Amino acid sequence: MSSTIIQCQQLNHVYAGKVALNDINVELEAGEAIGLVGPNGAGKTTLLSILSGFLHPTSGTVSLFGQPPGATQLIGKVSALPQDARLDPSFTLKEQFIFYARLQGYTTQQAILEVNRVLEAFALSEAADEKPGVLSHGMAKRAAIAQALIGKPTLVLLDEPTAGLDPVNVRTVRSIIAEQTSSTTFIISSHDLAELDRLCRRILLLENGRLQIENIQVDEQQSATRFITLQMESCPAPEMTAKLAALDGVLQVTNPQKNEFVVAYNAEKHPTMDQQLMQCLQTNHWQYRQLSHGKTLEEKLFFSE
Amino acid sequence: MIHASLLVEDKIMQPGFFNHLLLICQFELNRSFATRKGLLSMVTFAVIWYFILLYPLRFAAGIAVQDHGLNQHFSLFDFIGLGSSQHWSIPEFDVFWQLALIIFPMLSITMAADQTCSDRARGTLRFMVLRSSRDRIFFGRFTGVMLIQALLISAAAFSTLALVLSRDASLFTAALSDLFALIVNLVLIVLPFTAMMAALSAQVKSARQATLWAILIWTFMAGIVSGLAYYVPGLDFLKLLIPGYQLSEVAQLSGWQALQLAYIPLIQSLVLLTLGRWIMTRQTL
Repeated sequence: MSSTIIQCQQLNHVYAGKVALNDINVELEAGEAIGLVGPNGAGKTTLLSILSGFLHPTSGTVSLFGQPPGATQLIGKVSALPQDARLDPSFTLKEQFIFYARLQGYTTQQAILEVNRVLEAFALSEAADEKPGVLSHGMAKRAAIAQALIGKPTLVLLDEPTAGLDPVNVRTVRSIIAEQTSSTTFIISSHDLAELDRLCRRILLLENGRLQIENIQVDEQQSATRFITLQMESCPAPEMTAKLAALDGVLQVTNPQKNEFVVAYNAEKHPTMDQQLMQCLQTNHWQYRQLSHGKTLEEKLFFSE
Repeated sequence: MIHASLLVEDKIMQPGFFNHLLLICQFELNRSFATRKGLLSMVTFAVIWYFILLYPLRFAAGIAVQDHGLNQHFSLFDFIGLGSSQHWSIPEFDVFWQLALIIFPMLSITMAADQTCSDRARGTLRFMVLRSSRDRIFFGRFTGVMLIQALLISAAAFSTLALVLSRDASLFTAALSDLFALIVNLVLIVLPFTAMMAALSAQVKSARQATLWAILIWTFMAGIVSGLAYYVPGLDFLKLLIPGYQLSEVAQLSGWQALQLAYIPLIQSLVLLTLGRWIMTRQTL
């Protein structure tokens, strides 16, 4: 997959005098899931709303698969989980989902099959005949995500999909997204950076309405300086920082937060740095929780020099 | 299960405008006739109509039947202001016509108030807009509400026919043409009211707001336009913009002749639907 799915040119949006999106120029291709991050009020929901056709931009152009947002040619191709949108309280989940599937072009029989599949995937089969009003917050959220996956959309825009879900359901959502990434491009707006780190290779960083694209893994692999993140059980931070810094090939050691250390090293000269670190930890009897290559997404996006 | 989805995926057809209109209409009919809230509203309407039929309508029609025998030029309805210069051939329909001209436009303002507003406030409209266009939703909802009103008008008219037949079964053939004239005329009369509510519903956040705005706009518009027309008679044509403007004249007509003023609600509906569509297209969902 390498076709352009989203194109924004000089996209601006202003809410009551406040700039929400400032001259966004971006072209995104189909492929791995794309994360959309940024502080509260950065314009993430505004951008997703414009892409979904819920909101008209103040100026600039947007196209999805060469069509303007909301075009009928995009029916069944583009889907979304809008933030805070609730289903109709008068109808059961199944009734509404069948209606949505019918709007997407399914016959009644096909719609029933498809709705059963989606409800089952999100463990909502038992709630199929319930009205949204009686569902718990987590179930309502899963139902809202489930509607986005009716049919086989090529592009799915998810605004805070895991917010408010318990860990088991977060895992369910994650595995469903991972299963479909071969045929569907997901754009996921979230504050859960660990979640995005697992799912996305490309990150769109929105800050003060301006967009920046981070191709994280590619950037790291191309650089001679690489990083290892160590998460420790309790340990003497100054002593550990000093000992790690003294290792051959280590360029820098930082301690961004309690019990977390980021080691910068020259990968060309010292490709087995992970083993050296493990040996150092063992010699000093320090217990580690996790050793991972690269920085955390949080470090990459917000604390990189 | 994934295989099932893939199998059906190949045969998916992109639905057209009228297909969506039909689906949205059907969903609205289900909302009115197959949900608890909808059924409650229908039962309430049925009970109220039953009492209208049983007491004011039957009582007034009884007097009208007597009047027909005594004096063609004066009746109780003329006396209380519900009279018409052209009488319907069936007295019960005469009374029904006068009552319906008041009841159904009022019912329309309340029934058609929530075409899109609460769904937009709740976010439900976003789920729909991903699968349909704003135009299709706007016109689909409007058609759905019109269809429901047409069914209620028909039910009320047929119940009146039953009342007529209970008095004199031989009137069946004569009553049939008038019955259809009543239904067609009343559907046309509620058309601009429903279009006005569609436009308001696309703008405001709740059905209550839509109803309040409808009453305010209608009252002020009628007052302002009448005032302007009084001082500048050339502006009299502006009255055409007020839904229901023609009601007092229509009340004087009967049968298919009442259709001679049908152009007024049709023009009003066209203008209001264009305005509503314009609002809907620009509205943030």
